[in-house]
Amino acid sequence: MLAIASGGGHWLEMQRLYPAFENLDVAFVSVHPAYAEQVPNHRFYVVRDVTRWDRWGLIVLAAQLIRIIWIERPTTVITTGSAPGLFALAIAKLMRRARTIWIDSIANCEQLSSSGRRARYVADVWLTQWPEVERPEGPAYWGAVL
Amino acid sequence: MIIVTTGTMLPFDRLVRAMDEWVAHHPHEQAFAQIGNGAYEPRHMEWVRFLAPSEFTRQVKRSALIVAHAGTGSFFLAAETCKPLVMLPRLAANGEHTTDHQVHTARWLCDKPGVYIAMTERELPVAIAKARVGDPVASQRTAYAPEEFLQRIRRCLVDPELPPIPGKARKGSR
Repeated sequence: MLAIASGGGHWLEMQRLYPAFENLDVAFVSVHPAYAEQVPNHRFYVVRDVTRWDRWGLIVLAAQLIRIIWIERPTTVITTGSAPGLFALAIAKLMRRARTIWIDSIANCEQLSSSGRRARYVADVWLTQWPEVERPEGPAYWGAVL
Repeated sequence: MIIVTTGTMLPFDRLVRAMDEWVAHHPHEQAFAQIGNGAYEPRHMEWVRFLAPSEFTRQVKRSALIVAHAGTGSFFLAAETCKPLVMLPRLAANGEHTTDHQVHTARWLCDKPGVYIAMTERELPVAIAKARVGDPVASQRTAYAPEEFLQRIRRCLVDPELPPIPGKARKGSR
């Protein structure tokens, strides 16, 4: 499986899920090479850190993700956001028909993030970490990393 | 020493400039800033653009106080190191982030012990003064998510019968 998170809080939230990955073959993807030191026993890939403002960056990011998903052939992709995670779910769904899990960052406590709203179209499991943000039609609330 | 951090993704010059001016007015204070790709370069404090997580945590442990953007990563860091945390949220109107979710995060965290929110840079000096004499952020019980949440995520990862569209058989794994 592939676990992808952008920097800062997104990456730390993914670290807090680490026990759920025990004995699974996981490759991690994030945006700073230095993060590799936190997942020493796993394959680690770096992708470009982008926002949706950065059109050229999004193209570079998509190319990087296509390469990673081509190499890794994940059956499952999980992300704690943000834009790179959304792209990874979409590309893995198209290329691999992978099972996809979106966990919206705990920072989005009043409304879903903009990537999170778009994730509904590509995520098989579509989660918020706030009961207030849960809706009958999704996203679902299963708990939080904190 | 005070640690200033903007996170490393988007610039947050408003915070860096305000803290640089604060240090200029408090010559007995020392500060160290991680400014990401901000354009404003501090003149009154040491700064870097990016530190690896382990090195950054080491710096934070040596400090008395963290002054940060209202990113959850900074909150986790303050909890890990048991430091008081001053937060200034980024505003979408200033182009500091894509949305105002940091304002929401600030509203969420403002009641937590050890968190001192400045809604504008003008409130920073008061927030710092409060943090100087107040409690630190309470340490988290564990470094990981609650067991129940982990179990649900785990089930979803290992049980091939769950959610629709199971992945195709894995060909030639590396």
